[in-house]
Amino acid sequence: MATNSLKAKSSGAGFKNYMRRYWVLYAMLLLPIIYFFIFKYIPFLYIQIAFKDYKIGMSPFAMPWAKNKGMFYFQQAFRNRDFRFALRNTIMLNGLDLLVGFPAPIILAIILNEIKCNAFKRVTQTIAYLPHFLSWIIISGLALQVFAPTTGLVNIALNAMGYSSKPFLNNPHNWVVIYVLLGVWQSVGWNTIIYLAAITGINTELYEAAEVDGAGRLRKIWHITLPGLRPTIVVLLILSLGNMLGIDFARPFSLQNNLVKSVSNVLSTFVYTNGIRGLQISMTTAVGLFQSVVNVIFLSIANFIAKRLGENGIW
Amino acid sequence: MKKILSFALAATMLLATAACGSDTKPSESKAPSESQTGQTETGTETEGSKDASVSGDGLTIEGEIENGKFLETKKITVEVYDRGNDGGSHPEDNFFTDYIKEGVLRDHNIEVTFVPVPRWTEVEQLNNLLAANNAPDICLTYDYSTIKTYAQMGGVTNLKDDIENYKDALPNLWGWLGENNIYWDKDPETGDLWAIEGKLANNTRINTFVRQDWLDTLGMEAPNSTEEFEKMLVAFRDNADKLLGDEADKMIPFSISFDIGWRADHILASFVDPEISTRERFVRGFDDRRFLYPGVEEGVELLNKWYNDNLIWKDFALYGAGDTTEDNLMKAGYVGAFMHNWDYPYRNADDSINNNLKRLVGEDAGYVSIDPFKNSKGEPMKFLPGPVDRKIFFPATNDEVLASLLYLDWITKFENREFLQIGVPDINHKVHEDGAIENIPATGDHIMNSPLNIDYTMTINGLDLGDEDLTTRSIAFSYPGVKAEVIADAYENSTRGGIIGQNINVGDITSETGMGPALSEKRDVVLNQAVVAKPEDFKQVFDAGMQDYLASGGQAIMDERAEKWEAMYGDATELPEQ
Repeated sequence: MATNSLKAKSSGAGFKNYMRRYWVLYAMLLLPIIYFFIFKYIPFLYIQIAFKDYKIGMSPFAMPWAKNKGMFYFQQAFRNRDFRFALRNTIMLNGLDLLVGFPAPIILAIILNEIKCNAFKRVTQTIAYLPHFLSWIIISGLALQVFAPTTGLVNIALNAMGYSSKPFLNNPHNWVVIYVLLGVWQSVGWNTIIYLAAITGINTELYEAAEVDGAGRLRKIWHITLPGLRPTIVVLLILSLGNMLGIDFARPFSLQNNLVKSVSNVLSTFVYTNGIRGLQISMTTAVGLFQSVVNVIFLSIANFIAKRLGENGIW
Repeated sequence: MKKILSFALAATMLLATAACGSDTKPSESKAPSESQTGQTETGTETEGSKDASVSGDGLTIEGEIENGKFLETKKITVEVYDRGNDGGSHPEDNFFTDYIKEGVLRDHNIEVTFVPVPRWTEVEQLNNLLAANNAPDICLTYDYSTIKTYAQMGGVTNLKDDIENYKDALPNLWGWLGENNIYWDKDPETGDLWAIEGKLANNTRINTFVRQDWLDTLGMEAPNSTEEFEKMLVAFRDNADKLLGDEADKMIPFSISFDIGWRADHILASFVDPEISTRERFVRGFDDRRFLYPGVEEGVELLNKWYNDNLIWKDFALYGAGDTTEDNLMKAGYVGAFMHNWDYPYRNADDSINNNLKRLVGEDAGYVSIDPFKNSKGEPMKFLPGPVDRKIFFPATNDEVLASLLYLDWITKFENREFLQIGVPDINHKVHEDGAIENIPATGDHIMNSPLNIDYTMTINGLDLGDEDLTTRSIAFSYPGVKAEVIADAYENSTRGGIIGQNINVGDITSETGMGPALSEKRDVVLNQAVVAKPEDFKQVFDAGMQDYLASGGQAIMDERAEKWEAMYGDATELPEQ
């Protein structure tokens, strides 16, 4: 009894001392905690809008429940043809992005790592980062200048060489290619940063040992660099799988046009058209909730599989 | 434990994006009881108005307002479109807003604050403002279905009682708009009134324009039929070298935008059956571009032919609303003909398309309006709107309904709106000997951000000088640098053979709620894809698109409209004589 209280006392004093010493760090932590609380946790209360009939200017607690035990708007969404197309397109575009856009920075990082001339490497890196800082609105403007059927740079060049104009932006198939490639162009440089950092962390003795054993450049990449990158790759892969249904708004919205709506209509633009413009707030909240739930499921499955394969996972 | 916790954290963060993604706000939202009391308050106000009396000087309510002047200064906010025009002034703070602010404060003791809303994204912006309980006290939009949707969510003040009770205190508003415009949107069953309609003073809509100097160069007459119009386009295409010289490859005989329903309106209308009944027009009339009217498909097929014959601008579908690429092509002189708002090439004074052409191409260059398209009876036919324009409504958060109504009355008063329309003598206009008013483009403080200050005179669109003849003569002078005859012709061409829209109000059509933006987008997609399709694919593309449009809500709306018409008018195909 006595020892117990003594222990509690001393640990209490320890905590006091601890806080006295580190309170500044905790105070700094407060700011992000407040941010998450206000912008990520309070909005939770509003998820119920998906199950209720939205009334403007009314507290979500007071809104009446939707029909069919609150599930009406989910049913409405799944009955909506455009929603089903948007779902399909989102999965398709994200899948292609994963297929093409995910390996791209890994490859670029390895190539950059092999460059011996430091100045050249730096310049290349900096140029590759630049597009990351352009907004999609600007990129879409550039894309029009470059790919438009009559006034686009590429088509003017094609015409000058005697070929006819190619519908880069106004044919659904071509548009998907442009969409994916512009995505790679915009993000590949920036995404190499994390891989380059991971490569720096690989013990150089391994390379030296491999050299002694007579390993060539490709052997070293295959047996040392790539295994060294594996944990980073796995974590990033899990995170991107966890965003399989989440899709940026600006990119498809600014690049789209009426001739490619069959592939450019995705969940984010669907929510914009029907929610923010059409005021079908409950239905689009239901769509948002559905997206998030599916994302969580994807994330957990990917994490589970990664762990089964002996990786660390993200939790 | 740690694992579960971290999983829960990861999951909650992802979930949180659901709420963010759907534009909900963590801001405090008014409790329902509050907004309800807001409504009953206006209710009691009308009760109280029984003691109100109106003298020659205005409304008097014991303890509140005397001779039209509030005893205590009231504050209201008013929406104004922000067009972001080059060289314009702040739409919420300039010479003309000062005129309004001073006048309303002087006459009614009301303090006015203007809230700018971007013109081309007005609906999105209003949605946000309303959802945040932050909308101006007096709002306006061209889109009634949006107001209707707000109303169904309890977001709009019902004007049914106030507008009637204060009738005597609002002589200018009632006098100018009349029952027709004020009660245009009144629910036939409940009498609910969510918005009042501003008045369209000059019922002009669309015109076809052609480069007169090109016709002259080629020695051609202005076309007088669809076939002649096509021949003219072919001549433009084939004579590009002669018309554009080195820049022949830039030739665009006919330009349209993604909004084909508007930009080919007179062509499409000429394919509609001239005998179409009022019932048919109503049932198929949800879409404001009349996409569902019988005959439109043939019109689109003609455009498809032209597109494939290289007569139409190839890139039209790539540029969205508000994009200036096409205007710039016109200004640079590459476009032979186009169809747009009735006065489009003459708008914006010095920066108008015609004045730019004069500067960039030559003194003779310029567009004139023509009226070549005839229906199957060989007559010109256009669908013109009813005499309604912008819809004015008060959000439920408006606590100053009476003050807001008095503001509308003030802005509608003839002297006030006349001043706003024509501005200051010798700065904004000069007076001709016969009394006609000629518009002068002002700069600096007195610049008008919108033609005739339409953004401030919310109850009127189009010039009205009190005398019809004077008005018509003055309209012809309202475009600097353009000959009066050209405008007079444009006016004629735009209205010849017009079928004026009627008010068909059969009550709520529930299947329309929230469908406006999605269906308009779909219509544009169908029309765009059909125009650029290969000729042999046209039918299939158009039909597939139409099927999609109908299955996505278009058919349900038509069915409900047919049902409601029948409930109201039975088998009749025309409206009963009034």
